[in-house]
Amino acid sequence: MTRALKAAAVAGAVLVARRALRARISRSPLWPLPALAEPVSGHAPRRRLRARIASRTEPAQGVVRLVLESPELPEWTPGAHVDVLLPSGLVRQYSLCGDPADRGRYTIAVRLVEDGRGGSREVHDRLAEGGVLELRPPRNRFALEPAASYVLVAGGIGITPLLPMVRAAAAAGADWTLLYGGRSRATMPFLPELAALAASAGRPDALRVVPEDEAGLPDLAALLAAAAPGALVYACGPEPLAAAVLAAAPDPSRVRLERFAPASSGGAGDRPFTVELRRSGRTVEVAAGETALAAVRRELPDTPYSCGQGFCGTCRQRVLAGPVDHRDGLLTDAEQADSMLLCVSRAREERLVLDL
Amino acid sequence: MTRENACGLCAAVAGVFPSRTRQYIDAMSNKPLAPARVASEHTELKARNVSFGWEDTPLHWLPGDPFATHTINVLHLLLPAGERWFVHVFKQALPHIRDERLRADVIGFIGQEAVHAAAHDDVLPHLRRQGLDPTPYTAQVDWVFERLLGDRALPPGRARHWWLMERVAMIAAIEHYTAFLGDWILNADELDRRGADPVMLDLLRWHGAEEVEHRSVAFDLFLHVDGGYRRRVRTWATAFASLVWLWQRGVRFFMDNDPELVGAKASLGQFVRAGRQGVLPSTGAMLKSIPTYLSRTYHPSQEGSTAQAAAYLASSPGANGGARP
Repeated sequence: MTRALKAAAVAGAVLVARRALRARISRSPLWPLPALAEPVSGHAPRRRLRARIASRTEPAQGVVRLVLESPELPEWTPGAHVDVLLPSGLVRQYSLCGDPADRGRYTIAVRLVEDGRGGSREVHDRLAEGGVLELRPPRNRFALEPAASYVLVAGGIGITPLLPMVRAAAAAGADWTLLYGGRSRATMPFLPELAALAASAGRPDALRVVPEDEAGLPDLAALLAAAAPGALVYACGPEPLAAAVLAAAPDPSRVRLERFAPASSGGAGDRPFTVELRRSGRTVEVAAGETALAAVRRELPDTPYSCGQGFCGTCRQRVLAGPVDHRDGLLTDAEQADSMLLCVSRAREERLVLDL
Repeated sequence: MTRENACGLCAAVAGVFPSRTRQYIDAMSNKPLAPARVASEHTELKARNVSFGWEDTPLHWLPGDPFATHTINVLHLLLPAGERWFVHVFKQALPHIRDERLRADVIGFIGQEAVHAAAHDDVLPHLRRQGLDPTPYTAQVDWVFERLLGDRALPPGRARHWWLMERVAMIAAIEHYTAFLGDWILNADELDRRGADPVMLDLLRWHGAEEVEHRSVAFDLFLHVDGGYRRRVRTWATAFASLVWLWQRGVRFFMDNDPELVGAKASLGQFVRAGRQGVLPSTGAMLKSIPTYLSRTYHPSQEGSTAQAAAYLASSPGANGGARP
């Protein structure tokens, strides 16, 4: 008798517990697991945009212009560049040279660098209309600041960030002069567009085209001396041009420079730098022609890595000091703030300190 | 039958079925049963850059079968957090490896898993855009992997080492199931016949093929750093029970919150039926995979086919530049 009573009591308790549990679960179906207050999965800022190559043209000898189309392209301002993730895994920066008002489309122009590191070669040989490219959202390290007067100096393909600046300056009614140097007219893209802009502004003399085979090197000193006082100077081109503009400018603090990033010019080559491995108390020199990963692995052969192209993240390491030239297509802006991928990224200056 | 006779028979059989059988037989003739590797199934591991565009993928990407769609969708909820955790744990295990080839394998594994996590992570905003926000569930999965299975602030020494070994063994058990699922998805022709979305199939098959390709790594690492049979059984039980529990919660969560379904419920019966139709792994095959993993001679190289995985990877649109198939 008592056994039967016991069994009934237990069965009753189980029934009550089961009903309570069901009620609790139906109140919040995901009970009873705790949740992370700041979820990680699916909340990374969108790292990549996908765009279709709507057209591929050659506006000048050795220059390919791509128009990229997608409904999800963010807004940008003149001077901005995008990281292009090429199908091979290489990541290259190219300035946007279309019209910022033309939402849904980005335009880039790429000059073939014969002895480069392969990025421009891949753009020229392997990208065709209808293909899909991945990009990271635009960033601007060369923004056009408001001014009454601008002097713009372009060397060769360095015209790309300056073309939207000319449009913006003309639209804002600012006074502008563009000096555009190149090897020969045939190799200089966008000449008709620029002539039309100057003509529509009613100032055909605002555009000075200086092809080296006809007119030699441009007279920067005369150009900058004739500029209105307080004019902002924007220059984009190879390193010697940037240095010459800085040397000739009456007020270097009014000069804004965009040197060709080593990644996009290739031939210019990467600079050597020093990496301090703070935890192991060692220092390694990274030569111009090698990656930080290769140099670090000489000292610490166990340093992990896998893809070697900046997309898998295995070689990510914490950066304690020193500005980084990020060249990967993986890390978010927040991750880039304190870490880097050793396989592709380099120091922006002479020294990096890693937590290794 | 004497032992010599047995081995004579073995040799005869091995002559007929050269590579794989010989491995089994070697294992059979060793007194303490040991995992038997199929050597020919080893391959160099390398992370592949992938690209998938989700613009055209519908919410029910397997037409007319929301239950199977969501059962597979749970992968997108478990994998980003889970595979980030694999990477985290294996990076800690690297200093314990005393074998160069295994170290190279583990590093290749880390690279592949990191790319997997990111690729599945990209599906979640797509689900959100279609009105099915998985955050309440993924926040819990994040908690499981970041907190419950995280580093737990243990003092250096035995406790920390024990916890690392336990987690390495758990990953080996989970990888048994990812390899099982990878092999299944590579052979799930029924999904093609029913018109499943090609981009989603490509993501799953690329992932499945890499899981098949690196299926031995986690188990080899476990054998190398510990390999105890009791630990293998214990962590298998934990991993299997957790996976089943998390998975059914995920499916129920999706079915409850799907904006296109009214009053739909997930049930075990639907799972068994879908398994019979071939749109999900069959219940029988899943049950059979349990004694396989618990066998003392089990080695992941005995299951699945590296050649089939390599063939898929060579033709996968997502792993070869990202054009839409």
